[in-house]
Amino acid sequence: MLSKRSLVGVRWNFHTLAVLFFFLIGTQVFAADPAVSESEEAISAGKTVFNANCKTCHKLDQKAVGPALRGITDRQSIEWAKRFIVNSQEVIASGDDYANDLYEEYGNLQMPPHTFLTDTDLDNLLSYIEYGDKVDPAAEASAGGEGGEVSGGGGGIPTEYLTIIVVVLVIVLLLILIVLGLIISVLTKYINKQDLPEDDKEFVSQKFDIGKVLKSDGFIIIVTAIVIALVAKTAIDGLYGVGIQQGYAPTQPIAYSHALHAGTLEIECQYCHTGVEIGKSANIPSANICMNCHTHVQNVEGKEGISPEIQKIYDAVDNNKPIEWVRVHNLPDLAYFNHSQHVKVGEIECQTCHGPIEEMEVVYQHSSLTMGWCIDCHRQTEIAADGNEYYDKLVQLHSDSKDALKVKDIGGLECAKCHY
Amino acid sequence: MKLVKTLSILGIVTAGIVLGACRAGGEDQGLEFAPQMYHSVAYEPLTQITDESQGDWLSNREDEKGEFYNSNIYNPHNMNMREPVENTVPRNKNGYLPYRLKAFELEEAALIENPIELSDEVLDEGETLYLQYCSSCHGAGGEGDGKAGLIIGGVANLKGGAYINLPEGHIFHVITKGKGRMGAHGSQITPESRWKIVHYVKQEIQKQ
Repeated sequence: MLSKRSLVGVRWNFHTLAVLFFFLIGTQVFAADPAVSESEEAISAGKTVFNANCKTCHKLDQKAVGPALRGITDRQSIEWAKRFIVNSQEVIASGDDYANDLYEEYGNLQMPPHTFLTDTDLDNLLSYIEYGDKVDPAAEASAGGEGGEVSGGGGGIPTEYLTIIVVVLVIVLLLILIVLGLIISVLTKYINKQDLPEDDKEFVSQKFDIGKVLKSDGFIIIVTAIVIALVAKTAIDGLYGVGIQQGYAPTQPIAYSHALHAGTLEIECQYCHTGVEIGKSANIPSANICMNCHTHVQNVEGKEGISPEIQKIYDAVDNNKPIEWVRVHNLPDLAYFNHSQHVKVGEIECQTCHGPIEEMEVVYQHSSLTMGWCIDCHRQTEIAADGNEYYDKLVQLHSDSKDALKVKDIGGLECAKCHY
Repeated sequence: MKLVKTLSILGIVTAGIVLGACRAGGEDQGLEFAPQMYHSVAYEPLTQITDESQGDWLSNREDEKGEFYNSNIYNPHNMNMREPVENTVPRNKNGYLPYRLKAFELEEAALIENPIELSDEVLDEGETLYLQYCSSCHGAGGEGDGKAGLIIGGVANLKGGAYINLPEGHIFHVITKGKGRMGAHGSQITPESRWKIVHYVKQEIQKQ
């Protein structure tokens, strides 16, 4: 009880100190212009303006795409700040030194003009910038700590716990074995001390002969049968695998992760595989498509510097040299397949054939791509005829049948649809 | 007798293991049933074999290269793809000519009218296209809160005052050529699709 109370006391003291510290620092660094209103209404109205127009590029206390904003009315006059917010290019063109330095520091990136903001909007915005959402450094530190923990923990039981559980189980089983052995030896000794008939004595003291068991017919037959069955299974599986590349997962020139891009970041497949709805091939993106994001994103998980994998894109772009990705899915020339026909017209999800792409670190061939596999799907899949006039007559002709209109009904099983 | 027995057992096991290795997995493509069918004679998109010795063992090519060799020696990097002849003008099936404005010519771009007529169907397609090409940064609602956009930073809130009144031509131009931190998407999205996205952004996201 005593320790608990004292702990709370310490924390409280630290907290107050931290707040005091921040307050002192705050008053020193961010001596906002006294003309900026500190009223709650102004701050909350300013926050709305900020969220709608500023927040994707600016933060209050940290550099982002643009500079940290708090303290602007200390660094410059309120009039200057308003002029810059409304039309920064005008201020820069007027030869203002501070504005030009800023423009240069942030890579000559233009801020769009905000001529639609009224003077009240600007006043409120400045109130929010100077007084809104002040971050308590102690709270920030603890929030940061929590954030780290959350990102570290995954769902389910972590693997290290599983290993520990397995090890403990094995130890317990071994202990039970030892205890059983001890019990047997104790019992044998006890029985041997008794006066027993000759038969029982022999039974008690008989030895377990492993060699005899190994040489017995029954054992040999069982083992041979198991070996033959295993060998036969591998051989038959192998023979069925001839010409099927299911599971093929080649190392690519860049360790690109679909799990990160399509899974975590939820980028749509079509963003990079641009041909999938308009042509036969889904297309592997050219480096300029990578550069749409990777001009700015140079490393993973917010690390400093350039990741060696992302550097490979820059090298490809700088030297105008294609990235030689290794093709994973390949149909033989005897079969024709068209992506747009399946994805655009058939409205089939990419994952139906390619499997859980959004979970793959390295892409592997999920489906067998055999003819049986194609035909199976053509037998079961209904035509996406809704809102597609092309199918109206076919649907009408098919209306007598009990079953829905399926791919097989419009020629999906005919040889010449794919083999020509 | 014993030797024969051992040999036959060993034989069966080896045969099993060898046949088992026909399967694909990892780096291994597995055994091919008809290699000449898997390795196209014609130039295929997204396939290029630059190693001249590949498929030596069944080759009867006149140039004495391997059967699987498939590269175009007349193209840069021996690629199979070829760029259009210089000074030719591509035209698509709707007769669209290439977009001529440069990235900085925003004022001229703003005057261009949307050639696609607005209809419910166009808006539907626009929505699909917007979700495919734009939402990862600009967010499904256009508020600049897409997951990839949060990492890139500086993504425009399409409902923000600086963007809400922009003319359609301006939006089309920025999709095509990029602006600020946004990259050029002209190579990814066809002009028709870009105009459909413009319709969707104007009508549904900005409600103009």
